[in-house]
Amino acid sequence: MRNSIGDHSPPPQPSPAARGREHAPDYAELHCLSDFSFGRGASNAAELFERAQRQGYTALAITDECSLAGIVRGLEASRATGLRMIVGSEVTLDADGDSPLKLVLLVETREGYSNLCKLITRGRRRSSKGEYRLTREDLVDGLPGLLALWIPDARMSRQDGAWLKRHFDGRLWLAVELHRGPDDARRLQELEALAASLGIPAVASGDVHMHARSRRALQDTMTAIRHRTTIASAGKRLFPNGERHLRTRRALSAIHPRHLLDETLRIAERCRFSLDTDLGYEYPHELVPDGHTPQSWLRELVERGVRERWPEGESMEARELIEKELALIHRKQYEPYFLTVHDIVRHAKSLDILCQGRGSAANSVVCYTLGVTSIDPARMGLLFERFLSDERNEPPDIDIDFEHERREEIIQYIYERYGRDRAAIAATVIRYRTRSAVRDVGRVLGLPEDQLAQLSRSTSAWSTDTPTSERLREYGFDPDSPLIRRLVMLVGELLGKPRHLSQHVGGFVISEHPLHTLVPVENAAMDERTIIQWDKDDLDTMKLLKVDVLALGMLTCVRKALDLVRRHRGRDYTMATLPPEDPATYRMIQRGEVIGVFQIESRAQMAMLPRLKPECFYDLVIEVAIVRPGPIQGGMIHPYLRRRQGLEPVDYPSDALREVLKRTLGVPLFQEQVMRIAMVAADYSPGDADRLRRDMAAWKRRGGLESHRDKLFAGMRKNGYDEAFAERIFEQIKGFGDYGFPESHAASFALVTYASSWIKCHEPAAFSCALLNSLPMGFYLPPQLVADARRHGIEVRPVDVRYSDWDCTLEAGTEDAGEGGEPPLALRLGMRLINGLQQKVAERISAARASGAFLELDDLVARADLDRGSVDRLAEAGALRGLAGHRHRARWQSAATEKQLPLFAAANAVDARSASEPRIAIPPPSASEDTRADYASIGLTLGAHPVGLIRRALQQRRYRSARELAQWPDKRNARYAGLVILRQRPQTASGVTFMTLEDETGMVNVVVWAQVAERQRRVFLESQLLAVEGRMESAEGSQHLIATRLEDLSSLLGGVATVSRDFR
Amino acid sequence: MSWACILLPRLALDGVLRRHPHPERPLVLVTGPAQKRVLAAVNPAAERVGLRAGQALAAAHALVSEFATVEYDVDEVTRWRDFLAAWAYRYSSQVTTAFEDAIVLEIGASLRLFGPWPRFERQLHEDLDALGFSHRIALAPNPRAAWVLAGMHDGLALAQPSTLATALNRVPVSQARLDAKTARALHAMGLRRLGQLFVAPRASLAQRFGMGLLQHLDRMRGDAPDPFDLYRPPDRFDLRLELPYDIEHSQALLFPMRRAIADLGAFLAGRDGGVQRFVLHLEHEGHPNTEIAVGMLSAEREPSLLFDLARGRLEQARIPAPVRGLRLVAEELPPFVPAGRELFDERSSQSMPWSTLRERLRARLGDDAVYALAPADDHRPEQAWRRTSLPVATKSPVEAAPRPTWLLQRPIPLRDGGSRIVAGPERVESGWWDGGDVRRDYYVLETGSGQRAWAYRGVGEIDTPFMLHGWFA
Repeated sequence: MRNSIGDHSPPPQPSPAARGREHAPDYAELHCLSDFSFGRGASNAAELFERAQRQGYTALAITDECSLAGIVRGLEASRATGLRMIVGSEVTLDADGDSPLKLVLLVETREGYSNLCKLITRGRRRSSKGEYRLTREDLVDGLPGLLALWIPDARMSRQDGAWLKRHFDGRLWLAVELHRGPDDARRLQELEALAASLGIPAVASGDVHMHARSRRALQDTMTAIRHRTTIASAGKRLFPNGERHLRTRRALSAIHPRHLLDETLRIAERCRFSLDTDLGYEYPHELVPDGHTPQSWLRELVERGVRERWPEGESMEARELIEKELALIHRKQYEPYFLTVHDIVRHAKSLDILCQGRGSAANSVVCYTLGVTSIDPARMGLLFERFLSDERNEPPDIDIDFEHERREEIIQYIYERYGRDRAAIAATVIRYRTRSAVRDVGRVLGLPEDQLAQLSRSTSAWSTDTPTSERLREYGFDPDSPLIRRLVMLVGELLGKPRHLSQHVGGFVISEHPLHTLVPVENAAMDERTIIQWDKDDLDTMKLLKVDVLALGMLTCVRKALDLVRRHRGRDYTMATLPPEDPATYRMIQRGEVIGVFQIESRAQMAMLPRLKPECFYDLVIEVAIVRPGPIQGGMIHPYLRRRQGLEPVDYPSDALREVLKRTLGVPLFQEQVMRIAMVAADYSPGDADRLRRDMAAWKRRGGLESHRDKLFAGMRKNGYDEAFAERIFEQIKGFGDYGFPESHAASFALVTYASSWIKCHEPAAFSCALLNSLPMGFYLPPQLVADARRHGIEVRPVDVRYSDWDCTLEAGTEDAGEGGEPPLALRLGMRLINGLQQKVAERISAARASGAFLELDDLVARADLDRGSVDRLAEAGALRGLAGHRHRARWQSAATEKQLPLFAAANAVDARSASEPRIAIPPPSASEDTRADYASIGLTLGAHPVGLIRRALQQRRYRSARELAQWPDKRNARYAGLVILRQRPQTASGVTFMTLEDETGMVNVVVWAQVAERQRRVFLESQLLAVEGRMESAEGSQHLIATRLEDLSSLLGGVATVSRDFR
Repeated sequence: MSWACILLPRLALDGVLRRHPHPERPLVLVTGPAQKRVLAAVNPAAERVGLRAGQALAAAHALVSEFATVEYDVDEVTRWRDFLAAWAYRYSSQVTTAFEDAIVLEIGASLRLFGPWPRFERQLHEDLDALGFSHRIALAPNPRAAWVLAGMHDGLALAQPSTLATALNRVPVSQARLDAKTARALHAMGLRRLGQLFVAPRASLAQRFGMGLLQHLDRMRGDAPDPFDLYRPPDRFDLRLELPYDIEHSQALLFPMRRAIADLGAFLAGRDGGVQRFVLHLEHEGHPNTEIAVGMLSAEREPSLLFDLARGRLEQARIPAPVRGLRLVAEELPPFVPAGRELFDERSSQSMPWSTLRERLRARLGDDAVYALAPADDHRPEQAWRRTSLPVATKSPVEAAPRPTWLLQRPIPLRDGGSRIVAGPERVESGWWDGGDVRRDYYVLETGSGQRAWAYRGVGEIDTPFMLHGWFA
């Protein structure tokens, strides 16, 4: 199936075969699609440029269909190969009465570039996502600065040519594209005749869809995918042959007369526009009031902030840093960027939306004074490296997290403030992963749906590798059959190819001038959202600034908790004014009592806490960063832990590196440190280090770390570092890959971690309440959060229409205040927990209640205007207990609340709502029935724990409780049974699954190794109530039960529907 | 009156297992849209390895690596139910399929023939076991009670209304054949047995659950009439002829066959319809039947034509053993549309319509022997056409490339030194996906003798001889 690259057939007329490549005429390819023409182009920019350069082309145009999404990759490839890129785009004008018209537009000047962006934007914005529509109407102004190649269809309409000539006089060519069709000689003749009759020049071009002929199978496959058909039935929609690749100049000269090739050079010569030249991007100016320059206005805002942050005067150190940062910002002319970020943050604060910045530039004193972050660099004992450096020409990077429920308000504010012309979200390029590639390829190869489903099961959802033979065989496919071999080969080629553009999670690009003069804008899938055609890497390359407007659930929770504290305790805290470095808070964290706390609540994190024993803010920063795939894969955790525990001496490879590594005890944990090490130990320049950072993020996709390996090892050897150290650093660089965690981000996250920990420690009821009202987020579901609250002595009260609102609320507790302490608060569950109940129904109930307590069920139904479904749901949740008695009776009564239909006139002889309805004997539910109903309706119970109800049965089977296990001797065998509430498989943990089990006395952590899970796959995956035999292992305060055998006891639960969070 | 309910809890599955080669291996019926396939039923072997009805197919695949799947087919279930109703019809003239998953029949009137009940019941069990349908049987004074009780357990026979009342009191609401929503609601109210409902105020129940619930309860107790449709045998033709002696030659079969077809013709004429397909079953002693299917592209009813077709098929058929009986079954009986006739029909008696000729040729030579050609969508010349059973109305050919009218069956080397290239090369590189990848440069050549040939060389080949692939007219 694979063909040798670039072969060609002999020309029809005998020609001197000895004619060498050096004698072949020069050529520039002017019509070439990259893989950003989704479903058409089968090669990426790097492959195209590399081959074009090897063939000795003079220039290469990237002309994706109505898109400039691929030109930044083109620019990078052009830089790498030294081959000049021409920017262009292929467009097909809609028939619209006339016949369709296909053109390639090439950018001659900066003005032409703008016009092309504008044209693409117009075509894309008036169509739905992924499509475009352009008509002749859109070309009537002649698109100054653009050259046009006309690609006539079979009709070779003279009229079309004449129309085009009118609008592109002197800038129009007729493209001669010959691909070994039935009679190329005649076609050439006819095209030249047409050009001559119109008085326009003809030029050769290639309609290139792939860099080499060997991509023919992939190109066919993509065509079939695009047409949603199988390859076998795609028929003539496939190209008849593989000629649409970058052919050798010799092959081209055999087909085309010389003057057509020479013409390509004349066009290439005219298209001098380069993306390398400044596009003239500017940040918005309007944020500066009259009489101020950006510089003076930023200074003014910073000074105001200084007075607010340090009412009694700033320290010398802070002042010095401020001046240094301001000077640097000014040299780089980044003032408008900081002013924009400040404006967004200021607006969020005016709406009372909690937000927090992060990123290298966010953790500066300037950002602290501007209120972008709450980290006081001085107070926290942090000395940030210079956040921007002169040499490192990297744009400032600020991400801002907002409360997740209210981020949309900020997005709309940005659109309003700058207008849709000037603000848009960056694109994210959605690429093929294994599963999507297997599905699409399998489908076009004609596999039936059920086999496709089976195939995709053989791959994991996020994998980016081709499926292995073993996996395929395991799932019943023969990896040696021709069909599966074809499939695997094509999947390998399709992996990583762009599929479509989607919107970035929150990266906004804002510009002084309309964005469509810089880059095309198109519609996103969401209504009212527009995206630009470049993604964040492209923005980096093009030096466009972006602000990431992100959503963070924990900020919602913290704001709600602080509101509750204000309302019930009368104390007004903000994230910045919470008492810092509180010992009680750190003691709680060290005990691992962190359910619900931001970032450190995962099983792995929780297990680490008692060993790491964080006792200051910087320890939290490390904790946040350390239990992540990067440092784990790099093998950095254990050395750090041993040093922290004093089990191993802290030493440094050299004095120079002491400065870089001393805060982390000589162990590199952060992205910044890796870059610094490369600079200090391996003589990287700041620019090299920056490239290293980018390559780290991209190596899994594109490779390209090997060159760094050589360079790092050579540099380190030269500076006297040993091989093992170099190896360790390189491993960590690889590990950082997609997950590399910068210290600047960890610090911002750690602040949220501290805030949530402090609130949990000192105002646990408010914390639990706010957390329940911010779900879904984090690792735990309501039952675990409520159970955790109750374990910490908080009184939790059931959902009740007489007291509950939609949200959970706080009420005065029944217990008296302890010695000197504040009176405890009780947590009242909200109606939001009730399965299927609508928020507006709950709000009507609260509103009706405000005008007086409900007397009975009918009173509630009438005043809150409830439909029967809602009453049923309230009854099922037990929320009617005060009005209608037990659940069964509540259901009986609720069933009669429906508005009466005339049809049932006979039945209405007795008014069922009146007290005169005959009584009926209804037995109350049993305890286990209540538990079952609680779980079905609100997902948790305040009554008997389901495992508690069957404790006797478990005892008979010799299963222990969590309380007993807590006292269990180390390394002894144990039998335990509990509800599965969490299954988690960290990507780095080579097949081990962490499970959390729960009973009426507490939780138990279970570790299941791959072979046990595989052997008892069903029990492992399906059990609600799981029995585990195994061995207890404890280390430094954390305990695990290592499973050797599992058993499914779910049937004992008698139908209680519990839920676990699995494999998130 | 006494009503017997035969509950068929796994009708769909039994229908499939009857004809499945390996009923003892795990097998499931699958239903639902492509994205959300679920198991509709599982056989005992599948149940043993942990598959359950209601499970998602994806989950089942995750659990068990190998099991057979068969599409759940509603129509098939209806067919089997009708089949069993037809079977039950021999025991009673009052048979109904109105109750879900069940056949209910009145047996009071038949007791004299088949009774007493235990014997009658045994007869039913034996029949059903032999047919291969799992079932439960219950007897009650009214059909609805029998239906409900059959769901409880097998073999209940309550002839007296008083014992019926006691039995019904104990029936759990979840098994009382209530609609699922009502049953759930009653359960949620703590009302778990029918007895509790029977004593509840009727108006209160009606208000909460509508009259439907009361009606169901009343009919179950025999307090209200229960109108339903009775089963009627279907419209189909099924004629069996016992032959007076064993026939060994197909010639000798023609006579009885002509008679059977004549009866079919009369039947068709009587209902003013035609037949699309019928089957001749030749019954042998100690040997499975020989089936000869006769299908037509359009409905026919003219006995002489039908006979001609059947004779053609019969002559081709291999008859493995002497024929004892002959059965003719016709189930596809669509309306008959006569061919248009002119008032003054000019056709001679020898000519026949093209379609009739086609049918006769097909009947004589076999279905595969008569076909039409149609273009196929493929770049490879060999794959660019296909056979069809009917001529296809071709769309206007958008074929830009010149193609010869005569394509050789397989290419042969062109033995002609004096050929001249007229056009080309036209490159065809296609077909990698089915293992038939071709990579050729085609040329239009003029041979020394002035013929136009279509010939190719492999891509990249220079000195190899041309391969001749076709001739232009």
